Amino acid sequence: MFNLIRRDAIIQKRQLLLFIPFIIFFIVMNSHPALIFMVASIIIPFNAYAYDEKAETNILLNSLPYTRKEIIASRYIGAIVYMGISIGLTSLGLLVFDKPFTLTDLAIGSGLFLAFVAFTFPLFYIFRGKITTVIMISFIILAAVLPPFVSFLAKHLTIITDLIASLSTSALYTGVAVVIVLLYAVSWGVTTSIYQRKAF
Amino acid sequence: MENVVELKGVAKNFKGFSVNNMNLQVKQGFVTGFIGANGAGKSTTIKMIMNLLKPDVGEVKIFGLDYATHEKAIKERIGFVYDGNVFFEGLNLKDIKRIVGPAYKKWDDALFYQYVEQFKLPLNKAIKTFSKGMQMKASLAVALSHHAELIIMDEPTAGLDPIFRRELLDLLQELMLDGSRTIFFSTHITTDLDRIADYIAFIQNGELVFTQSIHEVAETYALVKGGMDLLDRDTEKAFVHVHPAPTGFEALTDNIKAVNTIFGDSVVIERASLEEIMYYMKGRKSYV
Amino acid sequence: MQIILSNSSKEPIYEQITHQIKSSILSGDLKNGAALPSMRQLAKDLQISVITTKRAYEELEKAGFIYSIVGKGSFVAEQNLEVMRERKLKAIEEQLSAVIMNSKEIGLSLDELQQLLKILHEE
Repeated sequence: MFNLIRRDAIIQKRQLLLFIPFIIFFIVMNSHPALIFMVASIIIPFNAYAYDEKAETNILLNSLPYTRKEIIASRYIGAIVYMGISIGLTSLGLLVFDKPFTLTDLAIGSGLFLAFVAFTFPLFYIFRGKITTVIMISFIILAAVLPPFVSFLAKHLTIITDLIASLSTSALYTGVAVVIVLLYAVSWGVTTSIYQRKAF
Repeated sequence: MENVVELKGVAKNFKGFSVNNMNLQVKQGFVTGFIGANGAGKSTTIKMIMNLLKPDVGEVKIFGLDYATHEKAIKERIGFVYDGNVFFEGLNLKDIKRIVGPAYKKWDDALFYQYVEQFKLPLNKAIKTFSKGMQMKASLAVALSHHAELIIMDEPTAGLDPIFRRELLDLLQELMLDGSRTIFFSTHITTDLDRIADYIAFIQNGELVFTQSIHEVAETYALVKGGMDLLDRDTEKAFVHVHPAPTGFEALTDNIKAVNTIFGDSVVIERASLEEIMYYMKGRKSYV
Repeated sequence: MQIILSNSSKEPIYEQITHQIKSSILSGDLKNGAALPSMRQLAKDLQISVITTKRAYEELEKAGFIYSIVGKGSFVAEQNLEVMRERKLKAIEEQLSAVIMNSKEIGLSLDELQQLLKILHEE
């Protein structure tokens, strides 16, 4: 299982070099920290998907001593692992560039990322082959319209975070966390059952 | 356990193509060649053996085990080589080893490097720069480095030059020195099999025509040549298919005894090659 | 042990092997108790399938020329000298019949033939 997760890093060796300038770009653009956390988390797991579609990876993985359950589990666990790493690196970047961020930003970023994963991962296996292009294009568009959008969003996010901060009780946080965890778990289950029915 | 692979009543339907009622056995310690025309169902069958495809009905047992309960244990003992490259093209062999190796409990680094050296493969060049033959060697090196008991290959010799094909056959024979090892490989180049195959499984239009030892094949099928005047509706029954020509007929029989009794010395009876068997079977009249 | 196979021969490969091993045994090239290469080794050396050497060894075993011990391999069986002598005699008879037939074809008399045999034998 660990080997499957590590695999994503090995395949993307070269792309990983782009990872740091990419994050720095977002930091320099003064994007909202929560957004940077989310975007940074997305890169590795989703790029791994793009790779897997190119080569006949599913044939390879399914011929190795792995079960289909494990292959999907490695995706979902891997997403969390790479999110942790990305958030760590991003925090470091933010510190280096002396941009302030809060734990709330971090929580919102990772929450958004996990929700994003929960929605998109099943789609990858439903529309195999096309979905990467769709996601990559929307991602580029997102990046293009980001700067004007970000300043707008930044204000709003601050308002939202302020709002939540003012309203919040630990119960509210827990509630949101529980919803995301549930979403993630359901998504995991759905993807596993889709994948188990696949023919290669 | 005599049969390493056992398919019982396996069927799989696709749009416009199906594999029907497949009963296939692959015997331990031998080389079984899987022959059939392109599109006959060889790859589909191999995919079902590898659990890449699940049959609609029927039972697939590998090493006597079921995929539903022993998937990992089964795949641990299989080495596979597919027609195309299944590795990430941009990676070099070292990285591929880093990905594939840890998947197996019995992975043997020393053995892997020994094959890499034997096949003269570069460790630090991307797979996409490899020639077809080198890609095949790379797959083979990976497939052989975890002491697999069953080696499954889908068209391993397709697109390879005769010299490398020969080297591959030598290597396979060396592997067979270990009596517990079994090789199952599909091919449409039947001459590969003349040398090393112990058993032949022949598939046609999604149906297994026979699985026989090469001796049974040689004793069952023969090529018969003779004058056209010998043929009539009765005598033709001894043949699977007849190819008539003004200079005389050539036919495939699956009943050498009958041909001997009917024609005696008036015809020439020769051993039929696998290619000839495949060719004449294709032209055969429907099962009457 | 030398075995030379012909792909163009009408004789099946396994029979070519049994014949050649038999004659090696009968001629004394392969002595009693001598170990034969394993089926798999022989298959590799001859570049033929395992099942072919397996069949050849089975036939040799059936005919009493070799015996196999599980896990140890195959060995040349002790040949009954009496039987071997008889076999040789039979072979000689056959060869002589051919000689007689050939002699008759060119009108060679029995005396002349005996003369010839005597000269050759003394050489």
